[in-house]
Amino acid sequence: MVLDNMEKNSLASLQKTMMAFLLKGETIIEKSIVKQGNVSNKTRLNIYKNAYQARLKEVIDNDHPILGMYLGDDLFDEMVSGYIDYSPSNCTSLRDYANQLPLFLTKQKPFSLHPIISEIAQFERLLLDAFDAEDAKRYTKDELQKLSPSDWLALTFRFHPSVQLTSFEWNCVESWQALKKETAPDPAIKQTNNWLLWRNPERLTQFRSLNEEEVVLIRMILNGEDFSALCEYLYNRTTDQDVSILALNYINSWLDDGILRSFS
Amino acid sequence: MWVVLLVRSDQRGGNTSSAVNNALPEHFLGFGLGLRTDHFQEVIDTKPPVDWFEVVSENFMVNGGKPKHYLHSIRELYPMVMHGVSLSIGSTDPLNKAYLNQLKVLVNELQPEWVSDHLCWTGAHQVNSHDLLPMPYNNEALDHIVDRISHVQDYLGQPILMENVSSYITYVESEMTEWEFLNEVAKRSGCYILLDINNIYVSARNHNFSAQDYLNGIDKDKVRQFHLAGHTDYGDYVIDTHDHDVADPVWTLYKAALERFGLMSTMIERDDNIPPLQDLIAELNIAKRIAQNTLNYGVR
Ligand SMILES: [Fe+2]
Repeated sequence: MVLDNMEKNSLASLQKTMMAFLLKGETIIEKSIVKQGNVSNKTRLNIYKNAYQARLKEVIDNDHPILGMYLGDDLFDEMVSGYIDYSPSNCTSLRDYANQLPLFLTKQKPFSLHPIISEIAQFERLLLDAFDAEDAKRYTKDELQKLSPSDWLALTFRFHPSVQLTSFEWNCVESWQALKKETAPDPAIKQTNNWLLWRNPERLTQFRSLNEEEVVLIRMILNGEDFSALCEYLYNRTTDQDVSILALNYINSWLDDGILRSFS
Repeated sequence: MWVVLLVRSDQRGGNTSSAVNNALPEHFLGFGLGLRTDHFQEVIDTKPPVDWFEVVSENFMVNGGKPKHYLHSIRELYPMVMHGVSLSIGSTDPLNKAYLNQLKVLVNELQPEWVSDHLCWTGAHQVNSHDLLPMPYNNEALDHIVDRISHVQDYLGQPILMENVSSYITYVESEMTEWEFLNEVAKRSGCYILLDINNIYVSARNHNFSAQDYLNGIDKDKVRQFHLAGHTDYGDYVIDTHDHDVADPVWTLYKAALERFGLMSTMIERDDNIPPLQDLIAELNIAKRIAQNTLNYGVR
């Protein structure tokens, strides 16, 4: 092969063939590499390919430590190489690279046969979302006490930007917690359950489970409904309790959690 | 460009050295480190004697939370420079406007001393390899990059720094040396150069060129910063891994670079296998000592 007689690639076609190598292992690019010294072009190119795969693997590893423990090394590696093929990165920050991982896990066997796997991945992504969501001032008890009685009924709460409301069909969070404590998780059990995740005022990510009633209240707030609507909902559910006390209990616990956003 | 700045080192956070009698270049920030998550809290608690920090821009293109909180707290204590990995200046894709916007927002927030990225491309057809892929060094690539750097500099309202990358392949399409290419890019676009001393060493070994030729081929007044880092030596080739201490031949090349370019803002890039902050500061002190011995600067 005489290199001098070869047609030179444009920048665009060179980049296209290099990407085809990195993403699909196509070797046309080898023709564009100068042979130098003892190191073969294959070895040279593989340095790039290995770096590409290792970098993406490291991202998934860092984002999904507990999922990694749940799957074990072999399945985790299978998942990583499958995801790298399924979802080439189109983001500038690796922070977002694995955003489609939960979706991939619902589609790809053997992972799709065990829906709890996708749910664990989804839970870990929500933790990340809570971790670096926008900052905002939080609503305080002082602020609440300054309200005049006439302000109360039309009061519309807003949540801190880190707040994530989610529901799962399986015991994924309990399994996540068990593995976090380095204990064996229970077998996967189907059980609908609701969770709230957020970043607390000390900037630590927190989560807790929610009962049906609280889920409805939080959804109502997310839909922009005011305090009187919340009370009305509680009134229709309750027979023997003072609705305003019940509502205030919820609000106080939200203030303690630091999940309400300040109006100021 | 050589200006006597008697008080500058005292104005900068964390710099413990006393008044310096030598003439310092105006752009000299001293000796810095890459800011890494592992060291956030310690930096705030102990305010270590580091002259400045370099931050990876993309790591802070998030809305809020702990990383940004630390970033702003540390910015109040130290000068910073921003170092990006996703500009993809050599790509044939259009410049990523959303990315440039995020970059500009961060520049406004941090008011860094300068902004740098790499002389490379990172992806094509909207797919990002997240790697610093080498350019072919020819006129087509030169025109393309010069044009794009001009756009970026106009958009940011300031000249940027372009860094040489480590590379493992040479394209048959190349028509000039990497240093000729880099130098021409700087001359024509008005950008400055961030010389990564370790990358020069790594590429020189991988492509069998003389690292000293590289240094000699770069205009003296175009360089604004040096990077130092560790690599992994496989005998026949060397990989730029940033997970080791700076190797002896890189220290030697650093000395040669100081001799050619004079006192230069220097930092150590450690991205993996990150040691305690004190170890990095000790390594940075080696750089400082070499600069003092080579240029006779700041020694009392
Ligand atoms: Fe570098």
